[in-house]
Amino acid sequence: MTSEDSGDPDDSGHPRLQPPPRNRMVVAVLALIGLFIALYLLSYALGLVPLLCGVSSCETVQMSEWAKVGPVPVPALGVLGYASILGLAMLGLQPAFADSRAIGLLIFGLAAVGVAYSAFLTYLEAAVIDAWCIWCIASAVVMTLVFLASLPELRRGART
Amino acid sequence: MSKKNRDRKYGSAESKGGNELKTFYWVIAAVAIVGIGIVGYSVGSKAMSPTVSAPIVLQGIDDTKLLEMANPRVKGDPNAPITIMEFADFQCPACGGFFAEVTPQIEAEFINTGKAKFLFYDFPLVQVHPNAFLAARAARCADDQGQFWPFHDTLYRTQGRWSTLQNPAGDFEDYAEQLGLDTGDFTDCLRSDRHADVISASLELGTKLQLPGTPTIMVGSGPGMRRRVASTIEGIREGVAAVQTGGG
Repeated sequence: MTSEDSGDPDDSGHPRLQPPPRNRMVVAVLALIGLFIALYLLSYALGLVPLLCGVSSCETVQMSEWAKVGPVPVPALGVLGYASILGLAMLGLQPAFADSRAIGLLIFGLAAVGVAYSAFLTYLEAAVIDAWCIWCIASAVVMTLVFLASLPELRRGART
Repeated sequence: MSKKNRDRKYGSAESKGGNELKTFYWVIAAVAIVGIGIVGYSVGSKAMSPTVSAPIVLQGIDDTKLLEMANPRVKGDPNAPITIMEFADFQCPACGGFFAEVTPQIEAEFINTGKAKFLFYDFPLVQVHPNAFLAARAARCADDQGQFWPFHDTLYRTQGRWSTLQNPAGDFEDYAEQLGLDTGDFTDCLRSDRHADVISASLELGTKLQLPGTPTIMVGSGPGMRRRVASTIEGIREGVAAVQTGGG
């Protein structure tokens, strides 16, 4: 751990203050947005809300055989994934965990799985289902941004 | 986070790091409030809507009035000599099968040739199909905009999805949008009691006729002349032939 990360005193004897990990702030905000998108899609899957879809074909996508993994609606996986990333990012912003390599790698790992699964679902929309769901695309974009924002965690991991 | 720990690590609230964290929490709170507001409003407005999804009690209705109120939807030439009647439930899988397999043959052989007209009566068996009544009302709401049959077809094609939902109104609104209906008018209709009397009358009519289930198919050639037939194309052919030879 470097003195820059630790908050140890500098040459003048004053404690060196460090900013909170900004990428985790970005990850947390994005994950919260993604969480609400996933919650909205899950509410639709459970018949609780109508899906405002514009010109896209949400219903076709949501009715396809790919809309569930076994008995579990795909949006439920999204809720779980985003909630986990959000929780980890919030935890990783606490002073005690700001330098935590494990939390950083967990965020990165979950984001990597999320972006890979989103890419798979987007591929299905384009090549198999032949229909687009604007909310699914929005979620895929958010997950990609979460993944990009989690990349600095690799550097943090290598440094500590 | 304890304030003491945060100040020691990131600096006090007045420092750059502390300010960043403060801004971050404000952003998180704003996103949370907006998100909860939108999702909560969507769920709440749906839950609180006065949508009628079960039969209503009809009082003081005689048989003549009941027949009039049941108001079947007609496909084909209204002056065709033969009438094929279906009493159906949009949530009934057998009705879905009838729609997919038999209806196209009925259309090709009898409707499009002008030999018969097809009458659709609602008979939603809500005890076993809790979404059937709302589906029937949704089709009538589409009928208000001249789109009963496209909506009827959509309901059967998508039966597997909305049948399993706790509240399928949102799906029905999606279908209306896809069919190019005025979604505002459709939603106003669906989230009300409109057409509940018509569907209930049709249901009452079917009950008085002691229908064995759905779909029930009848063939007739005039007022009061009808015979129940099997819900297969062969059964309907036989029924039409019998009616044409005066056996209706």
